[in-house]
Amino acid sequence: MVMEAAPHILVVDDDREIRDLLARFLEKHGLRVTAVRDAREARRMLPNGHFQLIVLDLMMPGESGLDFARFVRTTSGTPIVMLTAMGEETDRIIGLELGADDYVPKPFNPRELLARIRAVLRRAGEASDRKRDLPARAFHFAGWVLEPARRRLLNPDGVEVPLTGGEFDLLLALAERPNRVLTRDMLLDLLRGRQAGPFDRAIDVAVSRLRRKMEDDGRNPQVIKTVRGGGYVLAASVERVAVADSAP
Amino acid sequence: MRLWPSSLAGRTALVLLVGLIVVQVAGLTIHALDRVDIQNLAAARLSAERVRALIRTAVFSPPASRESAVDDIDLPPGMTAELSDVPEARGGPPLPPPMRELLRIGAAGPPPPPRGQAAPSSPPPAHRRMQLRPREGRDYFISGLEGRRPGYLLSVRLPDGAWLNVHAALPPPRPWHSPTFLIAFILMTVAAAGLTLWAVRRLTRPVRLLADAAERLGRDVNAAPLPETGPSEVATAAAAFNTMASRIRRFVQDRTEMLAAIGHDLRTPITRLRLRAEFMDDDEQRAKMLADLAEMEKMIGATLAFARDEAATEPATPVDLAGLARTVVDEAADAAPEATEKLSYDGPSHLTVRARPVALKRALANLVGNALAYGGAARVRLVPPSNGQIRLMVEDDGPGIPAADMERVFQPFQRLEGSRNRETGGTGLGLPIARNILRAHGGDVTLANRPAGGLVATMTLPA
Repeated sequence: MVMEAAPHILVVDDDREIRDLLARFLEKHGLRVTAVRDAREARRMLPNGHFQLIVLDLMMPGESGLDFARFVRTTSGTPIVMLTAMGEETDRIIGLELGADDYVPKPFNPRELLARIRAVLRRAGEASDRKRDLPARAFHFAGWVLEPARRRLLNPDGVEVPLTGGEFDLLLALAERPNRVLTRDMLLDLLRGRQAGPFDRAIDVAVSRLRRKMEDDGRNPQVIKTVRGGGYVLAASVERVAVADSAP
Repeated sequence: MRLWPSSLAGRTALVLLVGLIVVQVAGLTIHALDRVDIQNLAAARLSAERVRALIRTAVFSPPASRESAVDDIDLPPGMTAELSDVPEARGGPPLPPPMRELLRIGAAGPPPPPRGQAAPSSPPPAHRRMQLRPREGRDYFISGLEGRRPGYLLSVRLPDGAWLNVHAALPPPRPWHSPTFLIAFILMTVAAAGLTLWAVRRLTRPVRLLADAAERLGRDVNAAPLPETGPSEVATAAAAFNTMASRIRRFVQDRTEMLAAIGHDLRTPITRLRLRAEFMDDDEQRAKMLADLAEMEKMIGATLAFARDEAATEPATPVDLAGLARTVVDEAADAAPEATEKLSYDGPSHLTVRARPVALKRALANLVGNALAYGGAARVRLVPPSNGQIRLMVEDDGPGIPAADMERVFQPFQRLEGSRNRETGGTGLGLPIARNILRAHGGDVTLANRPAGGLVATMTLPA
């Protein structure tokens, strides 16, 4: 890998040990890292760093991670992966609704964080030719509402339909790319950040569970259609509610 | 003793009622004795009156018509009069002193004939003497009746030497003879009993309220305090109870905050250790270290969930309970693919309830996790609303739990002997968390051994 091509990551965490260890870990896996102590330093680094992604600890002394995320969103589209405190659901939801791209609960598994960083970078790269869409607050399709921040699906009656993590990520991947056929390989690739070890059949299993929960007849599905030659497509018009449109 | 009631109200009422009956009976007895005296006096008066009339008639009638004149006099029942040559009362049993008292003999003697009517014909000297002071043993004889019956036998010498014998049996006193007596007695008893029960209930109600409040406090430390009103003893007890409740609340809160703080502070070192593990060269040791850290994290996660009581802060929303149950089963299968066949869901395909989805999912996941870890299987069954309850049951094929430990396993950090050191691990918080969550929903979690073997954990939710 050529050094110049390595994505540049800004790590913001107040714990020196974690900061240094994380920088070493990410560098070991082919990323370029600048690590800073707090939001003030991060603001100083932003203009000249040309960062492709920010790893942001929400629990910091001084300016909070949430305020910094808000600031980043108003000035650029740089993707953000948040480190949230375990059990602090509200922080996570607010962060995602502010426009953070993903989150990893602390204490995090470094490999999972790496996978998420790569997934977010890939998503951003996918859209590099056009203007990057900010993470959506909600997707509306065929009466259903999918809320990424709260990780929940509401049926047309407004009743929450619980989904497993895999089912949710699959549906989100499909909703983010409506009317585009996604092959099993593409879906596996997109989900790799989340799932421990997704295997080929996992996609089919998740789709059939989703159809059952969404009352989508498996023999004649209307929402998630099977495409001959191995793929799935969300066959509905998806209305995308951007975070900025309805942020509280 | 079977008749001794178990409740304070019952006992107090019983004591009061027995006391009331004793007082009633005593009062009635006094009343009855009075009545006997009055009846006796009235009977004696009446008989004395008649005796006077008899004597007057006998004295003033000419001897030829005397007999019929005496017979014509209306006598009360039990009294007979006849003329004879001998005083029948002479030699009879002595008149008992109470009867003598009643007839006032001794003070004035038997009532003499009225003075003013003394003389159409010239009265004999004996008569005159008798008028002045009739003497017992000469002018008259009086004796008791045979067999000590109440009454007397009186023989009065008439002026011509004949004797008038009066046999008077006084009617026996009937102290209880009154038509209204029984009704009055029953009415009084019933009214008194009713009042007693009402008053006792009112008085013992604070005790029941206190018991209810203690019960509520046991379920929820933040239960509303008791009103400190009512009689001073009750108000004092309520105030003492409220003080105790607030101390317990304080204690629980301190402990909760301590747990939360420890959980929080452990996150940073665990994160560091995880990162350090990534730089270890020994793959096997690294994998083991990461597994240890994952276990620690799980325990901290459970402790935090328990300490924070997340169910209390999550908003309730309509949620598909059937979908939730399927999701929990599917996630368990995803996490342990080898156990997929031991996991199942049975029930309706949709059932909407109002609940806190994240918390409820955690509760069910805890039960399913336990069933899988200790019972080797987890069959989730959703029973649609009946009797105002929705039941969600998790059955396993394990050895079950001894009946004595059924409640103990719901206490935080309590694990049954044998599970503590087994590889199944566990935090000892799964069931307490599940129960807290369900109780916050107005339901509960209970355990029972299945007759066919294995354990069934039942979550109930209000429909």
